[in-house]
Amino acid sequence: MSNTVTRISLAAVAAAASVAVLAGCSSPAPSSDASASSCEPAKGKVTLQYWNTVPGMDKVVALWNKKNPDIQVQMKNISNDQYGTIGNALKAGKAPELAQVGYDELPFLRTQNAFVDASACSAATAAKSKFVPWTWSQSSFGGTGVFAFPQDTGPMALYVRSDIFKKHGLDIPKTWDDYAADARKLHKDDPGLSITFFDPNNAEAFNGLLWQNSAEMYKYSGDKWHVSVASDQSKQVADYWQKMIDAKLVRTDLAHGSTQMYTAYQKNQIASYVGAAWGYSMFRDNLPDQAGKWSIVPMPTWGSSAASGDWGGSTVAFMKGNKHLYESVKFNSWLNTDPEALALENKLGGLYPAATAGSELPALSQGVPYYNNEKIFDVFADSSKNIDTNFSWGPTQKTVNLSLQDAMAKATAGSGTLSDALSAAQATALKSMKDQAIPATAGK
Amino acid sequence: MTDIAPRATRVVTSTGGRRRHRGGGPRAGTIVAFVTPFFLPFVLFYLVPVGYAIWQSFLVVRRTGGQYGTSYTTFGGFEQYTKVFQNDEFWSSIGRIGLFGVVQVPVMLFVALVMALLLDTPLLKLKAFFRITAFMPYAVPGVIAAIMWSYLYSPQISPLVDGLKSVGLHPDFLGPGAVLWSAANVSTWLWTGYNMLIMFSALQSIPQELYEAAKLDGASNWTIAWQIKVPIIAPSIILTTVFSIIGTLQLYAEPAVLRQISSNISSTYTPNMLAYAVASGNNYQQAAAISVVIAVITFVLSFGFMRLTSKKAGL
Repeated sequence: MSNTVTRISLAAVAAAASVAVLAGCSSPAPSSDASASSCEPAKGKVTLQYWNTVPGMDKVVALWNKKNPDIQVQMKNISNDQYGTIGNALKAGKAPELAQVGYDELPFLRTQNAFVDASACSAATAAKSKFVPWTWSQSSFGGTGVFAFPQDTGPMALYVRSDIFKKHGLDIPKTWDDYAADARKLHKDDPGLSITFFDPNNAEAFNGLLWQNSAEMYKYSGDKWHVSVASDQSKQVADYWQKMIDAKLVRTDLAHGSTQMYTAYQKNQIASYVGAAWGYSMFRDNLPDQAGKWSIVPMPTWGSSAASGDWGGSTVAFMKGNKHLYESVKFNSWLNTDPEALALENKLGGLYPAATAGSELPALSQGVPYYNNEKIFDVFADSSKNIDTNFSWGPTQKTVNLSLQDAMAKATAGSGTLSDALSAAQATALKSMKDQAIPATAGK
Repeated sequence: MTDIAPRATRVVTSTGGRRRHRGGGPRAGTIVAFVTPFFLPFVLFYLVPVGYAIWQSFLVVRRTGGQYGTSYTTFGGFEQYTKVFQNDEFWSSIGRIGLFGVVQVPVMLFVALVMALLLDTPLLKLKAFFRITAFMPYAVPGVIAAIMWSYLYSPQISPLVDGLKSVGLHPDFLGPGAVLWSAANVSTWLWTGYNMLIMFSALQSIPQELYEAAKLDGASNWTIAWQIKVPIIAPSIILTTVFSIIGTLQLYAEPAVLRQISSNISSTYTPNMLAYAVASGNNYQQAAAISVVIAVITFVLSFGFMRLTSKKAGL
């Protein structure tokens, strides 16, 4: 017995000692990197690292490399674990020059000092006019610098099974009230048929719905973040979907993009889909039998004026430690504004461009065969124009999204409501920001 | 008093051993040559990461002012540990796997034991076939097993659910009350064969004479199984229990996979899932503290169980 005790206490002493030793080499020296770096062209050949998750991007990069022998780009696909890979590289001080970062993760990585300000390059600030305004304000953080160029967006719209709508005599809904009325009618006609599904495990989709209702969840003023995740606008959206769920008008058992979801659509159990621009290829590729049955129309609105939300989309960010800003800006501009590059990315990766020139791409102004040759991208282009530019993401968005999902799942399982889920997410937002020493207070 | 004597002898022998080696230059070199290949990776891939995790758990993030300020980490003492102990989600995840373990471990080990005993009877034919079949699930990676079962649980696509429906049953494997046991079923399916094999190999090492003697004394097969075999293989049962306790506390793959099709599994369902969720929100220090606490609880429970039972089993 005494032997064991000695061994354990020895181990404890050793552990304590090693902690003490390690504590001695603490390095609290904050490195400041947010200041604008210089923007000198390099002498001679330069090789840039560019990490992304877009299918087919290797072909786009190959095209650039062929045209620009002096600025070569090496690409790495990190779709397996995008933010894990980026986070680890940052921790190790080995970040690439450029990396793909979603809009919702930009503030988070910004608080981790992940980016370098490219505004020293006049070409970077000049690029502003080429992008859809809200995308630019999100990646320049309201004009405090240029940390990323927008790449693609996910303007939202309503996907409608026109054949089912016709069969049950439903009108295309203009408002969310119309949509609920359609849902009731459909359910009355055929209890096995739902208007759509609500995936409690998808905070991104729900955030898009909140965005449409001008729910400003975060605001920065007076040296503090003001958190209003559970605002009245958000709660209006939450209450609406809660009513739909309670009346069993929407399915809650389908995860977005899962086999189960496609099976339900395949079996004609669901009549519409609230989705983003990039979703057009999902239906085309996964439900080829339903070609010609789908239409894409504007998202129902809360009031009489047009309003839309965004779901997804990414930027290409200038990462910390970038020593070739001049060349990075050159490549990044080409990648995200050049018509040839944009057309290729749309064709291979299904990207809906964030550059305003994107809507003039030939591929985006033609009818799409799967959708009855409708010009579906006109709908998305209109949607894109109606996205609230004031919306901003929080610096601990991932944690907030997880908490929101956990609470939404509870609500769909019958304990609590979606409105409670917003309150839980609000509390998590404040707590997680406190954990990261980010000054925050409850707003509104 | 009695158990001091043998211990003293042991100490003497080992000192003697050491003395003999002293001064032998080439021998020391040999020892180093043999031991380094073990210790180098052990230090690099075991001690260093564990030390790093412990070190991280004592850090906190601070920040210089401004909207996006500049963050840095500094020594924070037990701040992260205080947060772990104050975290309700942590305790409910511990409670959840506690319930999981209390039910799943005994069920699994009982089934494994019965299967091992059946395999060991002369009555059963095709032993090799049953042995390998029962062991087969162990060869399937946990994640794959969970994906496979998630198809069987999923009401939209499961032949199992369809089959049960046709006989008038409407199971909801993914419902709030059932999903924990659906996960437990996956673990049981995966590990029963493995545990059975450990128990079976212990049974194999029991000398046949023992059974013959018991038979001469008039013992039935039943008595032999429960009065002779089970007590003799008690150490392997204890070993498999300890493995199972450790496995339960580390539960991750099964619920994480089922989470994709069931909204009744939260991102903080098990302690490991909580640690992962916290780490993915970039709160590495808090995640490290959670991991250390899980490790300590695992250590205390498994060694506590071992001490408790090994005394009772007279080991």
